[in-house]
Amino acid sequence: MRKPLPLLILLLLAFPAFARAQDVKIPVDVEKLSAKAKESVEVSMDGPMLRWASKFLSADDPEEAECAKLVANLQGIYVRSFEFDREDAYAAADVEALRAQVHSPGWNRVVGVRSLAHGDNVDVFFRLENDKMAGIVIIDAEPKELTFVNIVGPIEVDQLAALGGQFGVPRLNPKSLAQAQSQSKKDQGEQR
Amino acid sequence: MTLIFDQKNDDFDDEALKQALRRQSAPEGFAERVLLRLDERNLAKSSPSQSDTSSHASWRAFFTLPLVRWAAVAAVAAAMVVGVAEELHYRNLQREHAQGEAAKQRLMLALHIAGSKLQLARSRVNRAGATASGSPAHAEQADN
Repeated sequence: MRKPLPLLILLLLAFPAFARAQDVKIPVDVEKLSAKAKESVEVSMDGPMLRWASKFLSADDPEEAECAKLVANLQGIYVRSFEFDREDAYAAADVEALRAQVHSPGWNRVVGVRSLAHGDNVDVFFRLENDKMAGIVIIDAEPKELTFVNIVGPIEVDQLAALGGQFGVPRLNPKSLAQAQSQSKKDQGEQR
Repeated sequence: MTLIFDQKNDDFDDEALKQALRRQSAPEGFAERVLLRLDERNLAKSSPSQSDTSSHASWRAFFTLPLVRWAAVAAVAAAMVVGVAEELHYRNLQREHAQGEAAKQRLMLALHIAGSKLQLARSRVNRAGATASGSPAHAEQADN
């Protein structure tokens, strides 16, 4: 009968470490959006996975070398991006469920854009630990598109933005994009 | 020598004829000698040299030893196991490399999406800042 107590203590000690790995949980309804989406990208990479994937980044390629530097100290990257055929394919409550999680101590909303004319809603949240960047969450809710990005760990925001290309158009070449998307779909299929 | 045919009288010498045609048994050991010759001739035809024949025979004798036979079987089995293991290892490496490449692409895609959304947020903030007065769009930039 004495065994459960140390186990409980161990679990309580371990819980913050697990919780820190992905503070922001993706709601189930958001996960289900891929079924409705015309195109979807789902990336979930924790620390070990990031380390492993970054081994394949070439130091000779400037872009890949930049990526390797960016992810060197990260504990996780979680991305969900859905593009729909029609408007209102997702519920506002889904977005609110995401936002509610980052309206908590430790998180700071750095950017919040609401555009009635264009229907854009972009939020950027930073988490600081000892005045150092410890995470970033981006929620971009557009009429036909919903994107959620959660990066856990210290990251250089300017370097990350530089990877994004100009005005939100990714610099990633179409071949790589297609490969990554097909792999993402394959993984989803395996998970199901 | 006995004359069998007398040319002068144009007649056979019956006795001489009988003598010549009488049944005679072969000398002793004749059959064995003939068979031995035949064997030698066949061997000479089938194998190039005597030394080769003897070496083949000695090899054959070597492989008839049970220990050697088992060792040969074990060697072949070991070679097959090593070959299969190498093939599996190579396939694993190939699969791991393909998975790693796919993971890399996904990582880069995730970073590009994150970067592009940051760029988008910046551009929206700039646009909202530029058209803040009289525009339906409004932006708020929180410091905290």
